[in-house]
Amino acid sequence: MGYQTPYAPTRSELSSCIQCGLCLPHCPTFRLTGKETDSPRGRLTAMTAVLDGVTGIDEVFTETISFCLGCRACEPVCPSMVPYGRTLEGARAEIAAQKGGAARRLRGWIMETWLGSPAIMRVITWATAMVQHTGLARIAPRRVRSGLRGLRHIGWRTASLRGRSFEPERAPVATVGLLTGCIMGPWFAEVHQASIALLVRAGYRVVVPSGQTCCGALAAHDGAADGAARLAVRNAAAFRAVDYVVANAAGCSAHLKDYHHWAPGDTLGEGWQVRDITELAAEAVEDGRLPRLEEGRGVVALQHPCHLRNAQRIITQPRVILEAAGYQTTDIDPVCCGAAGFYSILRPDTSARLGRDKADEIGRTGATLVASANPGCEMQLRSHLAGEYRVLHPVELYMQALSDAPEGQA
Amino acid sequence: MAATLTGSNTKLRDDLIRLLGTERVMDSTLERHLYAKDAGVYIGNPTVVVMIETTEEVAQVVRAARHHGVPIVARGAGTGLSAGAVPEVGGVVLVTTRMNRIEEIDAENHTAWVGPGVINLDLSRATTPFGMHFAPDPSSQSACTVGGNIACNSGGPHCLSEGSTVNHILALEVVTDTGDVMIVGGGAPDPIGLDLRGILVGSEGTLGIVTRALVKLTPNPPDVRTMAVAFPDIEDAAATVSGIIAAGLIPAALEMMDQLMMQAIENWLHAGLPVEAGALLLAEVTGVTEAVEAEAEIITRIAHGNNALSVQVAVSPQEREILWKSRKSAFGAVAQAAPDYYLHDTVVPRTRLVEAMRQVYEIGQRYQITMMNVFHAGDGNLHPLMAFDASEPGRLDEVKAAADELVEICVEKGGVLSGEHGIGIEKRHLMPLLFTEMDLDAQARVKEAFDAGGVFNPGKVLPEGSRCFDFGRPVPEGAWV
Ligand SMILES: Cc1cc2nc3c(=O)[nH]c(=O)nc-3n(C[C@H](O)[C@H](O)[C@H](O)COP(=O)(O)OP(=O)(O)OC[C@H]3O[C@@H](n4cnc5c(N)ncnc54)[C@H](O)[C@@H]3O)c2cc1C
Ligand code: SF4
Ligand code: SF4
Repeated sequence: MGYQTPYAPTRSELSSCIQCGLCLPHCPTFRLTGKETDSPRGRLTAMTAVLDGVTGIDEVFTETISFCLGCRACEPVCPSMVPYGRTLEGARAEIAAQKGGAARRLRGWIMETWLGSPAIMRVITWATAMVQHTGLARIAPRRVRSGLRGLRHIGWRTASLRGRSFEPERAPVATVGLLTGCIMGPWFAEVHQASIALLVRAGYRVVVPSGQTCCGALAAHDGAADGAARLAVRNAAAFRAVDYVVANAAGCSAHLKDYHHWAPGDTLGEGWQVRDITELAAEAVEDGRLPRLEEGRGVVALQHPCHLRNAQRIITQPRVILEAAGYQTTDIDPVCCGAAGFYSILRPDTSARLGRDKADEIGRTGATLVASANPGCEMQLRSHLAGEYRVLHPVELYMQALSDAPEGQA
Repeated sequence: MAATLTGSNTKLRDDLIRLLGTERVMDSTLERHLYAKDAGVYIGNPTVVVMIETTEEVAQVVRAARHHGVPIVARGAGTGLSAGAVPEVGGVVLVTTRMNRIEEIDAENHTAWVGPGVINLDLSRATTPFGMHFAPDPSSQSACTVGGNIACNSGGPHCLSEGSTVNHILALEVVTDTGDVMIVGGGAPDPIGLDLRGILVGSEGTLGIVTRALVKLTPNPPDVRTMAVAFPDIEDAAATVSGIIAAGLIPAALEMMDQLMMQAIENWLHAGLPVEAGALLLAEVTGVTEAVEAEAEIITRIAHGNNALSVQVAVSPQEREILWKSRKSAFGAVAQAAPDYYLHDTVVPRTRLVEAMRQVYEIGQRYQITMMNVFHAGDGNLHPLMAFDASEPGRLDEVKAAADELVEICVEKGGVLSGEHGIGIEKRHLMPLLFTEMDLDAQARVKEAFDAGGVFNPGKVLPEGSRCFDFGRPVPEGAWV
């Protein structure tokens, strides 16, 4: 009965929910089933019930908490400012600690050691490229096939960025440390290249610390709390010397900003400052450090990743970047696309349903170019969009526009 | 009699599962716990919870529940504040959230048939393309259901000019205590015969289950001006409200909040509210452009005559939206002050607003409870919010005592018990303050006429013993009393 780990949801976090129910209609799982058990209020009440010993961590509790997408759409609409995302991580840590079977322990181990290891990531990348290049994908099981459809074209080998640094032409505005992430490095190499080029152009000195590792978001969201905490401590040390840590995956930047949940004492140091790349880019556009390019590049459908919009309240910045690139933007309704980290693997049906809804909505906008600032969403969108769609990071779109621009303008 | 309705009731559950399937019948400890309360402070004890999708299913569940002698409590979104959806003595909690279809919109006649689980704001959004909306706009409108609005006869800021829910319901499809389906009211504004529709609206789920409603839609006004006026104190704001009404204007809405309330909202929303001011008045006028401009000017003049510190007129729809959002998130924002809140809802004649407010603050001081105030100033509907910590021993009782005092002072001044949130469990014991024995008996007889067996939401609204003359009435077989 009760909670057992230091990560558990606390009384003060939980009691900030006054059960007003204003979050209900914003929750995708509540919208699907209409059940209190599948709503933010219900989940918070369930967590309180365990704290109070009304119930234990049983099957119903586990299902309630596992069904949650972790999209945090319930947070910005909550007038009582309940830290839902934090309590969810805590509840998942408790489920893992109290109910962790062999499968879950294996998952936790993979998430910490594999995602944290560049060597293993290279092997996985090589294998994935193999599947992509040889057409093996066609005989893969359905679940895997739809996942593979979401991937970018993967090269056999990508040069590692770790340990390198990039200098701007003039005295740097600040030094930023780029998180290359677990899978981002090899699978989204173009996004990293565009990010570095953009940051340097905006006057930043960019370093890619070699001691860094996976941010730990996937582990944290799955309840592998100790692993997530160890990854946080490693990154805190690796990024000690920079002014800002910058990430170009919304899930990573959101998690890095929440490191105080994970890193004990003063591990993070005074100056732990995290920015999503879209924040720095939009700021640079507004300060005139990045040029506004000529209009007329067409329409782009702008997807708002949950971990950008709900977790970090970054709403206008991607639009600023795209407009500066010369695009006209049309917003897609910010309901979770169903990617939600490992959710798409653990609960494929719900994930696919949300993915299809999102694809339909993009279809209705008429745009064939989609901007997404999170790799998980990007893959989900691509795998559900049939036809001539392109899904890219806003920063890539800006840098492409910049390289297309005539001399004088750029 | 099924006196012990705590814990689950296996036979009933098995019958319900046969009707609805396992996914729609919930009776584990945790599931029952999650349906034990609404947005208020009372906690009940559901026997079993069912997710309903059709009228026929409601009828079958009613028959099954009767057969087992177990009462039924309807539930929409559970945003009620007076414990209407709380199964106080156990029972089947019948959840309508899946009956959320907007069946047809008749744009020509400005009506729509909707399921009871349709969310209030979803209805207005769906009718926007036709230039119409559903006028009742409780602050909870983004979440609460039309069924809940009907059951509580809910109001909102714009009820000052549009009236509460009852004015916007033309007909209802209702499942009765025998499991039969009846339709009351009709498309005509004044249907012939006794107005049962008027009785059912506001009956808080005690007379039958609403399974469909024919709602009236209101055309969107051609133009709007929303104004935020800051005052040094509540008195000046209240004087302005009186001045506006005395000038013969009926604005679409007149809302007020005090400084503590503004601060809590601002902290969350960053809407740019004038937090240094003692009170804020939100006034909205609607109509053709010339009229709204003229009225906005009159209001500005009256406000300046009453020491207004600033008058801000929302120009863009976004500015208007953020002002309303700040007003409508008021209740939630309180939790920043303390972990629990008790939101009250009483009415005083508008002319006695200022003295009532003084007494509200005085009660707060005496009980050492933080009182924040936000209210529908135009119709004297007060919503004092008490922020407290229920984990302090005895605190909840003190808060309830303070709440009772609040009601008493309002009734004393010629006001009423509840402006819009309903009676439920919360104010049932206060009904005799307003009603004589004869009044209560008349109401109890209406209840009996609809639901002799007491299957629907027993114990709500009417205090025990309301029926004065019930000598040895035979109780029907299987009835729950
Ligand atoms: C933040 C906040 C702000 C609020 N602001 C306002 C406001 O401005 N004005 C206002 O009037 N109220 C307000 N309320 C109270 C509440 O939202 C309303 O009473 C609302 O109408 C309840 O709707 P619901 O769907 O949540 O109903 P529930 O709480 O689920 O149920 C309320 C009552 O309706 C009955 N009921 C529900 N569906 C049916 C049905 N199909 N058939 C028969 N009976 C049924 C239930 O049995 C219960 O008695 C507010 C509440 C909150 C939390
Ligand atoms: S999480 Fe926030 S919005 Fe949702 S019920 Fe609790 S207090 Fe209300
Ligand atoms: S995180 Fe998303 S799915 Fe989970 S409760 Fe909040 S809104 Fe619902």
